[in-house]
Amino acid sequence: MIGHRKRLSSGLSVTSKVFVRSRNGGAQKIVREHYLRNDIPCYSKSCNSCHDIVKPDSNGELPAFILSESPKKTKSGLSHYIVLDTNIILHAIDLLENAECFYDVIVPQTVLEEVKNRSFPIYQRLRGLVKSEDKRFIVFHNEYNEATYINRNKNETINDRNDRAIRKVASWYAAHLKANSSQNINIILICNDADNRQKARSEGIDARSLVEYFDDLPNGEDLKDLIPSNIHNSAEFHGENETTFPEYYSSARIMAGVKNGTLYQGMLNISTYNFLQGTVQVPAFKKPLLIIGSKNLNRAFNSDSVIVELLPKDKWREPSTSIVEESNIGANDNAEEDEEEDDTGAKGVVSDKERILLAQEALKATSAKEADQKRLQPTAKIVGIMRRSWRYYVGQIAPSSVSEENTGNASKSCFVILMDKVLPKIRIRTRKAKEYLGQRIVVVVDSWPSNSRYPNGHFVRALGEVESAEAETEALLLEHDVEYRPFAKNVLDCLPEEGDKWTVPDVENTEDPQLKKRVDLRHKLVCSIDPPNCVDIDDALHAKPLPNGNYEVGVHIADVTHFVKPNTALDQEGASRGTSVYLVDKRIDMLPMLLGTNLCSLKPYVDRFSFSVIWELDENANIVKVDYMKSIIRSREAFSYERAQLRIDDKSQTDELTESMRILLKLSKKLKQQRLDAGALNLASPEVKVHMDSETSDPNEVEIKQLLETNSLVEEFMLLANISVARKIYDSYPQTAMLRRHAPPPATNFEQLNDMLSVRKPGLSISLESSRALADSLDRCVDPNDKYFNTLLRIMSTRCMMAAEYFSSGSYGYPEFRHYGLAVDIYTHFTSPIRRYCDIVAHRQLAGAIGYENLDLSHRDKNKMETIVKNINRRHRNAQFAGRASIEYYVGQVMRNNEAEHEGYVIKCFNNGIVVLVPKFGIEGLIKLEMLGDANTAVFNEDKYELSFTDLKGRQRTVAVFDKVTVDVKSIKDEVSGKRKAQLLLH
Amino acid sequence: MELYSPEGLRLDGRRWNEIRNFECRINTHPNSSDGSSYIEQGNTKVICMVQGPMEPTLRSQANANKATIEVNLAVANFSTLERKKRSKSEKRMVEMKTTLERTFEQSVMCNLYPRTVIQIDLHVLSQDGGLLAGLTNAITLALIDAGVAMYDYVAAITAGLHDQSPLLDLNGLEELDMSTLTIGVIGKSEKLSLLMLEDKIPLDRLESVLAIAIAGSHKIRDLMDNEVRRHGNIRSSKLVNN
Repeated sequence: MIGHRKRLSSGLSVTSKVFVRSRNGGAQKIVREHYLRNDIPCYSKSCNSCHDIVKPDSNGELPAFILSESPKKTKSGLSHYIVLDTNIILHAIDLLENAECFYDVIVPQTVLEEVKNRSFPIYQRLRGLVKSEDKRFIVFHNEYNEATYINRNKNETINDRNDRAIRKVASWYAAHLKANSSQNINIILICNDADNRQKARSEGIDARSLVEYFDDLPNGEDLKDLIPSNIHNSAEFHGENETTFPEYYSSARIMAGVKNGTLYQGMLNISTYNFLQGTVQVPAFKKPLLIIGSKNLNRAFNSDSVIVELLPKDKWREPSTSIVEESNIGANDNAEEDEEEDDTGAKGVVSDKERILLAQEALKATSAKEADQKRLQPTAKIVGIMRRSWRYYVGQIAPSSVSEENTGNASKSCFVILMDKVLPKIRIRTRKAKEYLGQRIVVVVDSWPSNSRYPNGHFVRALGEVESAEAETEALLLEHDVEYRPFAKNVLDCLPEEGDKWTVPDVENTEDPQLKKRVDLRHKLVCSIDPPNCVDIDDALHAKPLPNGNYEVGVHIADVTHFVKPNTALDQEGASRGTSVYLVDKRIDMLPMLLGTNLCSLKPYVDRFSFSVIWELDENANIVKVDYMKSIIRSREAFSYERAQLRIDDKSQTDELTESMRILLKLSKKLKQQRLDAGALNLASPEVKVHMDSETSDPNEVEIKQLLETNSLVEEFMLLANISVARKIYDSYPQTAMLRRHAPPPATNFEQLNDMLSVRKPGLSISLESSRALADSLDRCVDPNDKYFNTLLRIMSTRCMMAAEYFSSGSYGYPEFRHYGLAVDIYTHFTSPIRRYCDIVAHRQLAGAIGYENLDLSHRDKNKMETIVKNINRRHRNAQFAGRASIEYYVGQVMRNNEAEHEGYVIKCFNNGIVVLVPKFGIEGLIKLEMLGDANTAVFNEDKYELSFTDLKGRQRTVAVFDKVTVDVKSIKDEVSGKRKAQLLLH
Repeated sequence: MELYSPEGLRLDGRRWNEIRNFECRINTHPNSSDGSSYIEQGNTKVICMVQGPMEPTLRSQANANKATIEVNLAVANFSTLERKKRSKSEKRMVEMKTTLERTFEQSVMCNLYPRTVIQIDLHVLSQDGGLLAGLTNAITLALIDAGVAMYDYVAAITAGLHDQSPLLDLNGLEELDMSTLTIGVIGKSEKLSLLMLEDKIPLDRLESVLAIAIAGSHKIRDLMDNEVRRHGNIRSSKLVNN
């Protein structure tokens, strides 16, 4: 709408933005002021007038000029800056991040705002590009610039107006650089809207589509494969006679439906054993809603946020008890011509094989006995998707989808099978399908139209040969969304200038008021105990007897926050990484090496800053007094768990350091007993460790982790420190303290396990009344004939537990702070600031609580804490998964050379297969019925969790849950997904 | 919403230390009041009318030592986005009213007008952030127009803190998302006659916020002074002509 410009005395012009918003059926007229200015620079280094007009920000800093004086040239020798249109950013953000192209880019504010409204994640990535400065992206605030602001014309749509604004930016830049720069720099507007390009050209702007632009780049041919599919003409992409998935409901209908309770929103969770079955947990129902079959799943991906509608009661079913993997169904589809081989033409998106499976299921459901009625679960169908979980996916090209004879340069469609087997395969177009066969490649999903059986995507890059260690590691990190790129320059700039020569400054003669507050604890006999070869030592301990018979015990934690100040690039990088990730052969640090392994690490024999918690404990390890202080320590020795254990056990050693360790050990045992008495759980997970050959760095042995007394010594004091700190920061910041909670498991989680127990091991059961009851009942569950049974049960119970999570204290009431597993009322993470961001926040809050320094605002604001917490929870989970996946991969590599028979336990039974856990390797594998024996004569008794069949040698056998079986373990490579996994065969 | 972009621009295109469009007029209602004014601070628009000093209607209101200041605040139903009827006894209204009364009891030379009442009627026509500041400025101008003796101008403005940057003269959208400090400064000094903080600002940051708010108030004072002098010139030229 028209706004009159009025010039103000301060050099600004003011105009007004007027728009009408509808709200609750009524219309609202909104008038906002809009100031136009002439001091927005062009940010080009070659410009000789803009330097005079810039104004400082609130810190007195002037804006940096980023666009290069000599930008890249096209093939035809045109040195140029690029102006981007919104659709390019939305669809080709990966290309913008690519190091091969797109330097010196101008993002008009109009575009930035459109991007933000359409997709916040892409907006954040774009902001990241602008911030990092390596690719010389700038945001030009054209809407606030007097010269480039335009009014919307009468009858002009808002899109047309914005397109015009973007063109105005391009033409303004061209004219501005011509007048103010001696370099001959051109402006290229990249836009995928033909109509807009047409208009731009008629205004004398060099407008190009992405393809046209790449055609004119020296390395354009290689880049063309990376162009997303939905920028191509989409009509050619899929056949027309494919019948369709149901269309999603309109957003108005979804909103209304959710409001009046006929539709539900939740996160889709696809079953690991059956990719055609998913569940959605919605608050309205106690049991999750089942979603069965691809038509009901309606193009949703695992972990999408979806809208579901209930199906009628006659369609309610019990969860499928069979295993369906995508690789079995439709593996031979042709990517190019989807359904053409099908003569009837009536075939829809549901393939025949899938129908047969459905029919079998339906038969079962209808013939189900009365007793089964209680197991029926409501089913639903997906009618809309609120938020896609699409990200980078790693996979490999399905060999069957690459046609042999075609060797031309034209791009062909082919399928990419993803590593994550709950996801469908993705169709991409590439000219180099053959080249990429047998390689791990990264792809992105662009769209999934309703008339296509598979989602469309595009190629991003190749990681390397399948099964090469680098490619697999990188694939694993990408799959778990772990940031593994080296630290950017602006992050490294935040490190101390002295680098590794940094030393603790002189504390006695100092003017620094903060340094004065530090307590000198260098006279204390501090030592650290860690795993062997540990380089990032973040905790150290000391103990000494006091004259009154009590003990003084100190836990000293690396003072990371001395180096990582809030709101620096370093802090932001740490916050976004959230945690270090430990893989078998690699560690992805949260903070740069210099800090993690040197300046912060509490290395022996040197002075280091630390954050100390010092207790006075009585003979029974009750806390008499606790003190917190920033300090300086000098560690006397860095022990490994084994060496510390040896030294404690060695009676001939009676020096003070050893004695203090004995005190620690004695107290830790008491602490542990107190904890167990309170009901702390002792759960198990099949954790193994992979030994690497030191010369070839090939994995050669798998070992189950050993626990020594000294492990638990350190652990107990870390728990004690965490609990004490949690109380202190909650006391000082009741609304925003960074804490960690562990919710009690809902009884439904244990339903199946208890049912299994009552059927298979009469007399045993797990009690859920309290954590104490659970711990005791687990202790009672022993099978005199089988020592491992108890551990097995603990492993299975662990899987029924809720995950512990970080939270800020304002989001729950005090009773819900409880940490179920540890049986304490309040808990946080404080002791590993080098590798966890939570600890950094806890350090800052504790420093604030003891008045050492003021707490940064971002840790005092509920909403900001909420975003931090959300991110670190996700990162923490991903890091765990990545670590496990890495072990799984290496175990697979180890078994390659060691095929053998091992003991295993059946932990799940399906009607067409069983799942067996092999404790020796900590692996579990599925054995399908076909591999067990004759599939036709098998009988599955669901109530007894047992499967009877005739095995390959013709013997009649029955296996049931908890049975001990002997299996052949060997490693095979899945030809379709390229994943190596353990294959188990019943002996 | 990005309240303050990394490039240093706010939602409406201002930089951190810029005030909004400030317009003021005095003597807008010469026939119905002793002193009157109209101000616009961005889209916050206020009319103020002053009656008095005059004899109080009730004996009980008279104070033998000084004048009584009475503020009446009327907020138009159409002043916000959504039409809404507001009662005068609303907590926020009462708070604002007493704040204003106390502020001006300090700056008006009340002891010159014993046993009188000065009645100030305020009408808010439109709200877009900084209401208390706008009201204060309007009252200052109207009192000057009424010829009531004051020590100096009371110029008021808001400021807030976004992350690390202090921002001056918040508009309605910004006010929703930030803790807001309103101050009234006496003349060109650094003396405050009004300080009101909604929500909280950490103590170590308060100083930078106060600093820009004081600088902003001085700007407002100059703009008001210009208007008073302009009006004064017109008055005196009329006198000469007659």
